[in-house]
Amino acid sequence: MAPTSSTSAQATDSIEQLVTTWMVSGRDEEVTAAVAEVSEGRLLGVVKALGTYLTAEQDDLRTKGVDFLATVIARCAEKTLNRQSVKVLTAFFCDKLDDTETIVPALKGLASLPPICSSADALVIVNALFTYVKMRALVQSVRFHVFSIIDGLIAHHREALKDMKSAFIAPYITLAEGEKDPRNLLLAFAIARVILIEFDPAASHIEPLSNILFCYFPITFRPPPNDPYGITADDLRNALRRCLSAHPAFGPIAIPIFLEKLAAGSPAIKRDTLHAMRECFPVYGPAVARSSARKLWNSIKLEIFQPTDSTTEAMALATMQALIVTIHSSRDEDASANKDGEEDGDVQTLARDACEECLSILREPEKSQAKPAIKVLCAFMATTPSVARYTLAQAVPHLLKLFADPREANSRHPILLLLSDVIAAARDSVAKSSKTESMSDSTVEVPLAPFKNEILGALISGLAAVSTTGAALAGLTGLVSTPGLLSDDELGFIVLKANDVLDGCFDAAEEERSDDSTAILQLLLTISSTAPSHVRDQTLPRLFASLPPAAPPRDALAARARYQHVLRALSTLCGPATLFASLVSALTPKLTSIAFEESADAELSAAYLHALLAALKRTLAGKVDAGDVDVAGYVDSLVPTLYGICVRAAIGVAGVPAREPRVVGGVGDIVGLVVQSLEPRRQQVFSSVLFPAFLEGKIAPLCISEHVKVEDKFLPFTAEATTTERNLLVLFEAGVVPLDPSVKLDADINARIEMILSQGLACANNERQVETVLRIVGSIANKHVDELGSFLEHTKTTYWSTQILEPNSPHEARRQAIRVWTWISKALLVRNHPSALSDFIHRLFDLFGDATVGTDAAKAFGDIASADAVLTKRNGAVVKFLWAQKFATGILPRLMNGARNESDAVQQHTHLIALTALLKAIPNAAYAHEMDELLPLLLRALPLPDAQIRANVLETLLAAAQATHAPTTSSTSSTHATVLAEHAATIVRAVLGYTRAETELTSTRIRISALRYLRTLPALIPYAVLHPVKAEALRVLGAALDDPKRAVRREAVDAREVWFKYTG
Amino acid sequence: MAVEIFNSNPAIFAPVKPAKASSKTDYLWASDPAEIRPDGEEGDAEEPIDQDEIFDLIRSIYDPEHPNTLEELRVVSAPQITVNGNRVNVEFTPTVPHCGLSTLIGLSIRVRLLRALPSRFKIDITLKPGSHQSELAVNKQLNDKERVAAALENPTLVQTLEQSLVDASLRGQPAED
Repeated sequence: MAPTSSTSAQATDSIEQLVTTWMVSGRDEEVTAAVAEVSEGRLLGVVKALGTYLTAEQDDLRTKGVDFLATVIARCAEKTLNRQSVKVLTAFFCDKLDDTETIVPALKGLASLPPICSSADALVIVNALFTYVKMRALVQSVRFHVFSIIDGLIAHHREALKDMKSAFIAPYITLAEGEKDPRNLLLAFAIARVILIEFDPAASHIEPLSNILFCYFPITFRPPPNDPYGITADDLRNALRRCLSAHPAFGPIAIPIFLEKLAAGSPAIKRDTLHAMRECFPVYGPAVARSSARKLWNSIKLEIFQPTDSTTEAMALATMQALIVTIHSSRDEDASANKDGEEDGDVQTLARDACEECLSILREPEKSQAKPAIKVLCAFMATTPSVARYTLAQAVPHLLKLFADPREANSRHPILLLLSDVIAAARDSVAKSSKTESMSDSTVEVPLAPFKNEILGALISGLAAVSTTGAALAGLTGLVSTPGLLSDDELGFIVLKANDVLDGCFDAAEEERSDDSTAILQLLLTISSTAPSHVRDQTLPRLFASLPPAAPPRDALAARARYQHVLRALSTLCGPATLFASLVSALTPKLTSIAFEESADAELSAAYLHALLAALKRTLAGKVDAGDVDVAGYVDSLVPTLYGICVRAAIGVAGVPAREPRVVGGVGDIVGLVVQSLEPRRQQVFSSVLFPAFLEGKIAPLCISEHVKVEDKFLPFTAEATTTERNLLVLFEAGVVPLDPSVKLDADINARIEMILSQGLACANNERQVETVLRIVGSIANKHVDELGSFLEHTKTTYWSTQILEPNSPHEARRQAIRVWTWISKALLVRNHPSALSDFIHRLFDLFGDATVGTDAAKAFGDIASADAVLTKRNGAVVKFLWAQKFATGILPRLMNGARNESDAVQQHTHLIALTALLKAIPNAAYAHEMDELLPLLLRALPLPDAQIRANVLETLLAAAQATHAPTTSSTSSTHATVLAEHAATIVRAVLGYTRAETELTSTRIRISALRYLRTLPALIPYAVLHPVKAEALRVLGAALDDPKRAVRREAVDAREVWFKYTG
Repeated sequence: MAVEIFNSNPAIFAPVKPAKASSKTDYLWASDPAEIRPDGEEGDAEEPIDQDEIFDLIRSIYDPEHPNTLEELRVVSAPQITVNGNRVNVEFTPTVPHCGLSTLIGLSIRVRLLRALPSRFKIDITLKPGSHQSELAVNKQLNDKERVAAALENPTLVQTLEQSLVDASLRGQPAED
């Protein structure tokens, strides 16, 4: 035993040393070492070593001693202390509570005991706390320990405390009284909730408990800045609300308080009160709610009929629902017995009275109070089934009677609007309950069923009158979207009537009924989502029949507007597969007959043809967005037909409408959409027909035989091809661009792309053809870059030096070559290809000093970075995430350096142009962090004599300012505001100059963005900075009010308004 | 609030449709009127200020008494506005003939137009004939330069006016959330 005792003696020495050192230094190392000692089981040693300090006469030594022990205990792992030592520690710390010098560290020590002490210890702690702790004498951080101890004891020894009954509750109430600190209150509220719910407080405790809770209601706490605990007012509100709604006996105390706060409070307090009431009513129970129902309704009503704002109004409605539900909730004991005998007699007086009151307001349906009244009734419908039934039985006949009353004929529109609100509410009340109940229950009672015929009658008659059509449509849409209400025949009848009105809308001279026709289409769409046959068999044939067989004459504006309306209706309705099939089969013969019609004015037929194609395109685009699977099937029917029509027209006689480039463009769009939705396997089949058709003259397999024979000659890439034939390159593009990268194009793809590029550009005779060739090359280069080694090599070397760098070739040719370069750069850049920057984009800088194409090379940076419709994921292109941002981050420093470098004026100028073009093309976030550097450069670019650059700069400035204004306040945006403020007066004077319509080099775009920029500035810049320019700004903006363009005047009015309100 | 409410439950009307320029143009090629770019550079034609544009300026002024706009209460409407050269006449209808706030409504219209119309216009603001008990007095007050200027010197009054004009730039569009 000797060695053990000697080691223990050594240990004792070292512990004593630790303690002594700590008493002097207060360092953390000693605490850690002592914790290690305790976990070795040597707690006794630590206590012994502390012995003299714990009982020292000197106050500060005693405090320090207890503090050391408390700190060590708090750091120890739970398991290290045994029962006995916990008991001793408990007794020790409790004892120290009596001493004013040691109470603080003793509480700290006790705070770590609840999880490890026994229930008996728990009682000792509680009693000691109640006996010795005087909360008023302690600061808030110490009071926090007290609340933590009680909270911990409640968490770990709830049963023991419960058994104390009022011996715990009453002293606790005294303890918690008068607390003000938010962090302590959060704990106090949590404790109070447990007491209220689980400790079953006696009736005599209810009032004292309410006193320590309701005194905080409503919470008006505003967290201080830099609050270390991050407690928000909402945390406190939620915690308090959970207390207020914790005990039913609070009811009689709470309701007068709620009513008072609701009547007198600010909007925030009103909302808080309403929220609390909504949660409390169900707890307080029907008896309390019923006894003060009248008073409650009278105050809540005010918030609905004279709402302060829409959120409060919504909350008031929800609170009222809670009230109604509570009032009706428990007839529980007796009603459960005769549940099926539940009759309207069950409806309480309040619901009856409120209903009555709303109905009397509804006697004047056109007045402003009718809206809140109907909201109340609609809210009733979402409460209990009996109230819903009662409300419907009151409201619907009332509204129908008003509708039928000839004296109210002028108010029919508002009456039907109110009725449609009721219908929607009735529908939603069922939808909600059937979701919660079993879905299989098909015999869910439809509340509107008893009134179905009368409502339908009123709505149909409302539909016929122009003034009430809109309201009737809203009601009908509500009816047809109510599941299980209308029979199939009734749906058919509604479709029939709606068709009549739709016809009328198309005939209306102006667009005044466009809202009605949109609503009718919405109604028909709703119907066709459940029963498409009615729309297919009734509506579509009528619409097809109303399309004219040939284009109306030039002066028949109404007829032309009408076919546009009809086509728009068709493309809205024909989304579902069966309807789209009928649309295609009805339009195909029409397309074919008009395409080859020889008329005096071919443009009219072409425009009609284009309109038909556009309708197909719109419908298809909607279907592609929705991911419909039937689209792919049209590659075998619609696509060959359309190709056939265009090819036959192009190689046939001149003057047929289908030759028109815009018609060909429309066909291209449709083909593109269909090819997009094909699987790669079917795209492979398609491309194996497509490429020979355009490159080898084997056009026949691509078209239906009705239009194109095998012997027909069509070689658009050769020099002999006519312009019309070459215009069909758009159709080649439409097929190529959407192809997936996995589709194999050809054995010798390098030769093919070389040939497309050189032949295509060599023979192109208009801009459209050039663009087409560039897009094809871009798309192929993006998807097949790995197979294009020799093509890219050739481009990088020979093409660059002979076509672009060569100063002797004509300007136009060089400019076109730069465009080719741009497209290839972009195709590689979007997939983050390594050679994009080094081999292509950076070489554009070599042209910056060039007198002829320097500007073109600079503007190319904008084209490279901007988004386009070809290189997109939808088209199967390889596009990497955030490629434009990465590009901008990499290239911006070089451009900015160049733009700042004043040694070479030409270079600087070109760099500025490139910079503005790039910034316009990329999103604001990509350059926001550089904005303080960019701002001076942008201001330097502003006076450059180029309208496009000026517009770009102004739009960039605007985007930056708006991003700063946006609520996402980051540090970068606030620095932007600071930098702006430095230059503000200069900027305002400069930009004001660009709002004048009579200056050189202006455009609507420049003036609009200048005015928009001026409108955003006052929000970003302190008034003192811009005060000197305010008068000038108002004067110049006043002149802009007289701009010849309406859109500009509009912006001028808004900007001037902002400046008028801009004061210190 | 001890202020007397002149009409506590006024009738509300649905907003009228803005007149669309597209309905007047012939869209031979556009498949959709929305595709015609209104700010396109192609049209150099001057677009003179007309009654619809002036109506757009004043339709979303709030009534001083209600959270509704003048348009919703049918206090102002496009046909009640006439533009003749440099003269603009705006006629408005109070909701009740004894409305004591008519002057305030008229003043808010005047302030809005002072700010939003070029200074070359002479603006007359009048009550609809027969719509108000003291029609002449109100008309006189609204079109007297001195009295308008004096009214705008009153900070409380200007504050009330700014309240009415706070959403005037919405031009009949619903407010965003």
